[in-house]
Amino acid sequence: MKRSWFPALLTIGVIAFLFAPLVVLVANSFNASRFGGEWEGFTWAWYEKLWAADEVWESLMITLKIAFSASVASMLLGTLAAYALHRFRSWLQDVHSMLITLPLVMPDILMGMSLLALFVLTGVETGLLTIWIAHVTFCLSFVTMVVLGRLQDFDFTLIDAARDLGATRVQAVKKVLLPLLLPGVLAGGLLAFTLSVDDYVITFFVSGPGTTTLPLRVASMMKTSRSLPVINALSTLLIASTFVLAALSFRLQRRA
Amino acid sequence: MDDFLVIDRVSKSFGSLCAVDDVTLSVAQGEAFSLLGPSGCGKTTLLRMIAGFERPDSGRILVGGRDITALPPEQRPVNTVFQNYALFPHLSVWENVAFGLRMSRRPREEIRGGVDRMLELVRLAEHARKRPAQLSGGQKQRVAIARALVNRPLVLLLDEPLAALDLKLRQHMLVELNTIHEQVGTTFIYVTHDQGEAMSLSDRIAVMNAGKVEQVDSPERLYETPRSSFVATFIGDANFFTGTAVELQHEGYVRVMVEGLGSPLVLGNGVVSSNQTLKLMVRPEKISLTLQRPPSGERVNAFRGIVEDFAYFGPHTRYRVRAGEHLIIAQLQRSRFSGGEIDPARGTEVWMTFHPDEARVLKLEDVVS
Amino acid sequence: MTADHQRSKQWLLTLPSLAWLGVFFVIPCVLVVITAFRPADLQGGIAEGWTWDNIHMLSDPSYVPVLLRTLWLSVATTLLCLALALPMAFQIARVGPRLRQFLLLLVVIPFLSNFLIRVFAWKSLLHPEGPLTKLLISLRLAPEDAILLNNSGPVLLVLVYTQLPFAILPLYAAAEKFDFGLLDAARDLGAGPWRAFSKVFVPGVRRGLISAAIMVLVCSLGQYVIPQMVGGASDEMLGSKIAQRAFADRNLPLASALAAALMLAALVPMLLAAAWQRFGRKEAAS
Repeated sequence: MKRSWFPALLTIGVIAFLFAPLVVLVANSFNASRFGGEWEGFTWAWYEKLWAADEVWESLMITLKIAFSASVASMLLGTLAAYALHRFRSWLQDVHSMLITLPLVMPDILMGMSLLALFVLTGVETGLLTIWIAHVTFCLSFVTMVVLGRLQDFDFTLIDAARDLGATRVQAVKKVLLPLLLPGVLAGGLLAFTLSVDDYVITFFVSGPGTTTLPLRVASMMKTSRSLPVINALSTLLIASTFVLAALSFRLQRRA
Repeated sequence: MDDFLVIDRVSKSFGSLCAVDDVTLSVAQGEAFSLLGPSGCGKTTLLRMIAGFERPDSGRILVGGRDITALPPEQRPVNTVFQNYALFPHLSVWENVAFGLRMSRRPREEIRGGVDRMLELVRLAEHARKRPAQLSGGQKQRVAIARALVNRPLVLLLDEPLAALDLKLRQHMLVELNTIHEQVGTTFIYVTHDQGEAMSLSDRIAVMNAGKVEQVDSPERLYETPRSSFVATFIGDANFFTGTAVELQHEGYVRVMVEGLGSPLVLGNGVVSSNQTLKLMVRPEKISLTLQRPPSGERVNAFRGIVEDFAYFGPHTRYRVRAGEHLIIAQLQRSRFSGGEIDPARGTEVWMTFHPDEARVLKLEDVVS
Repeated sequence: MTADHQRSKQWLLTLPSLAWLGVFFVIPCVLVVITAFRPADLQGGIAEGWTWDNIHMLSDPSYVPVLLRTLWLSVATTLLCLALALPMAFQIARVGPRLRQFLLLLVVIPFLSNFLIRVFAWKSLLHPEGPLTKLLISLRLAPEDAILLNNSGPVLLVLVYTQLPFAILPLYAAAEKFDFGLLDAARDLGAGPWRAFSKVFVPGVRRGLISAAIMVLVCSLGQYVIPQMVGGASDEMLGSKIAQRAFADRNLPLASALAAALMLAALVPMLLAAAWQRFGRKEAAS
């Protein structure tokens, strides 16, 4: 039976479309030309400039600090939430489930705006704390979804077996459930980490003076056209590290 | 000890569904016992109550004289081999088997000795370091058995042990399970829906239906003397005839008039009075087919019929013979066919015979279907 | 375990996340709506009292075109994304498992890099001195002084670019569950490949279609970085206005009013979709 070639062609085209700008970006980070219109020779110059840009590295530290602490917090909250959602069926969980899913579909700007309103009205100064709170809030839902997926695939007769062999409920959770759930929790944490490092809009709304995270720094750099090629270099590094983290997360999710 | 495991008037309902209805059973120490029945009969619920995963609504469960009804699973001297084996994927075979001993904080030497011995018993010693995912179905099951037995439970529960195995493996495991039971001597309780499995593995079987126990007996007695038509059809096949007792003879024999068939002589099962309506059961393999009329006699029941259909199974052939309103199933080993070298084709007239001792009388009130 | 013990255990496990989201998600949303009804204070704070002023401002001639533009750009993005994602989901679901994983990975990888960077990549790609412009000029597809930035074309392009994975993934999830034998049956009964696709496959992945549409639509409604970076002054979307009011003008109440309007615009398609799902379920059950 003759199959249309259209879907296959389209798929390849779209994937090329998705990669093209990034490929150009990476190429241009080594391009001596300022605007990347023509290839003017290979150079490390932009990377050298990047290395010397202290404010970029400062922002990186802030970003990493926030990302790390936000992922730990959302891993804790998310795992508890996923367990509750999986284990219990009641009106409480229906409400709980709705609250968990809404942040996933809400546009960043609304979340940023609403948190800003909260902080202004309660007189909390924007800064590291407010960014941390915002990040935990939107990461929570993602971690919950990842862990919930693992729980749904989890064979609970293993808990029965553990109890049959003499483990108390608590011991069974400690020795059987948690070790098997850990890869999923870590995958969720890694996802949270990536989302936190990446976030621009929400952070923009809730950050204060002195808390310029990396995306905020990149955005301000984009406003001055002098720094354009350096941004290419920075972008290439960021792309590379995101891939590494993603690969790790993927590996963790696949572990049986 | 005869009453080693006692189920005393245990009932359990889930909402409006009564899963186990006032069941009482006694299992002797060291016995291989089966709970047999179709799905939904309550056998799995009963098993889970013995293991401790369900609490009975009423009744008690005793092991070795001790009431364990209120104990959580981890405190019961009972271990389970789960239907899907439930091996811990993150632990090696060795660590799986050691799990229970570790939970009871046995000394390290004891654990090592126990696990090594158990792995020898199930012949998996060289796979000790492997993970469950690397094992075959049969190997996984042996690990599950080892993991349970190493704790020296007073009762071992096995949930549908052969269900997940293919035919050849099943036959092999049947032998293996019997061997292990003999070597270890623990009380084994099997739960299964497969009558062949139950018959091969058990000293006694409890046949369950809709939450109640219909009959508890050895495999032979269940087969030869079923007490209800449910048991008669669940274990093996049966032909049923309804008739009226017309003549009571000496030694307990009764002549029963069956409409459309004749008046066979059967062995009554006790109190049978004249004119009583009876249900008779004759197993297919007890019926012989001949082309010629068999010699008549006191103890010969012979009837005419026409072969409607037959199915060849290899070791035997099953015939469907019509006699008036009755459709009778007869099963013949090929070598036993007498009275002609040719197998009867469809439409052939044949004579069916069975010995009075091979017909069972079921009380009419036992008849449910 | 007694029922009470179960209940307290459930509350104990649910409370942390519930409380966090209650305080940092629900309450802020409510606050936004409330703030919309408060007057702005000259120093950039919120004054006392209540007012309809901010709501009235929404019908101000300067906002209406922005609202409309936001709507049409979002809808256009959604339609384009769906049009591209449907055949892709179809294709990916049909190939073998290894190739499938690989393709999905390819779809997701670009998406994992920083959002700003991706928009920036397009900005430099479309730059007047950038490679794409030079390419088009050399192919004589564009005049010498063409500027590919600063109009709604690139805005739509980059919107589609960033939202596409959000459309592909839910559609793929639905396509994975689709029974492709149905297409063979349709072809057997005389339908050509295109008709089989549109009359059997598309309705078959209806659930995924709705999820994808909602996600892309709602996400696009709130965009403001993209129009700001690759669009011109006349391409502002609602999001940019909100950001301006909140930071440039320090007018929180007005920003809140705009945000509340956005919230409403986002809620409507979600409620419609939920109603459709329920209606569809009833239809199937009857």
